[in-house]
Amino acid sequence: MKLGRCLLGCFVVASLIQGCAFSRGTLGDDIKSEAIAAIHKGTTTQAEVLALLGAPDRLLQLNGRDVFQYYRYDAKAGSLLLIALNFTRLSIKSDDLFVILNREGIVEDVMSSKRTERLEFRFWPFGD
Amino acid sequence: MPSPWRRVCLFLLFVMVSLPSLGCNVARVTLNTSLTAEDVAFIVPGETRLSDVIAKLGAPDSITDTDAGVVATYRFLDLKYSQVNFGWLAKPWTRVDADLIFSRTGFGVDAFEVLCDPQWIVLHRSFQRRTPFHRNCRFSPAWL
Repeated sequence: MKLGRCLLGCFVVASLIQGCAFSRGTLGDDIKSEAIAAIHKGTTTQAEVLALLGAPDRLLQLNGRDVFQYYRYDAKAGSLLLIALNFTRLSIKSDDLFVILNREGIVEDVMSSKRTERLEFRFWPFGD
Repeated sequence: MPSPWRRVCLFLLFVMVSLPSLGCNVARVTLNTSLTAEDVAFIVPGETRLSDVIAKLGAPDSITDTDAGVVATYRFLDLKYSQVNFGWLAKPWTRVDADLIFSRTGFGVDAFEVLCDPQWIVLHRSFQRRTPFHRNCRFSPAWL
């Protein structure tokens, strides 16, 4: 009896997930939270930032100060392919880190956000 | 209602419900979380600092230098695509892949820009597009 229910359950699950597709793509290296936490305003030097995070993805100049920009993109796509009716949803989010250095090469400010942590596979294209 | 008629009615109802979904494709692409006027209402030019903006909205996607100060830009995109292929109706009667496709793409792209002075105090903030974001981006038939 139990085996029968288990088989029926497997059949129902297999029927429901057929025609599903999951895809994922990333761009750039993960920006580790520990590395961001190790950067302190007013004390950490440019060389230490480079040792922690590597060379920046982009180097900017703001008001005579150097800004190191690091970024990472994460994309998750879910598709429900029912032959006659197909739903696809692709969500892309980014992690960004800006390290502002003063003229002496000391960290003046750090701005970061991790949006990819809340990124989920979604199929339903309607709504938010 | 006699049983055979009931079955015919049920079949017709099923066909009517199924017809609009024949050969239907619906896709959506989103980049970052879209911001609304309510999300950025807390920013008061001349008072709010960029660090307060970052605490609420996260780090911007880009920062650029201008004569007046620094511009932080938050970019977001919402693309909606829908397609109906009425050629699917002919599939049971022909070997030829007949297509009669109606499709529509709504491409909503916008950015929120914050101009700060050299002391990181917000001088001005604005959305890039003047029309509401979702007006250009919706699922609808091709002829609308």
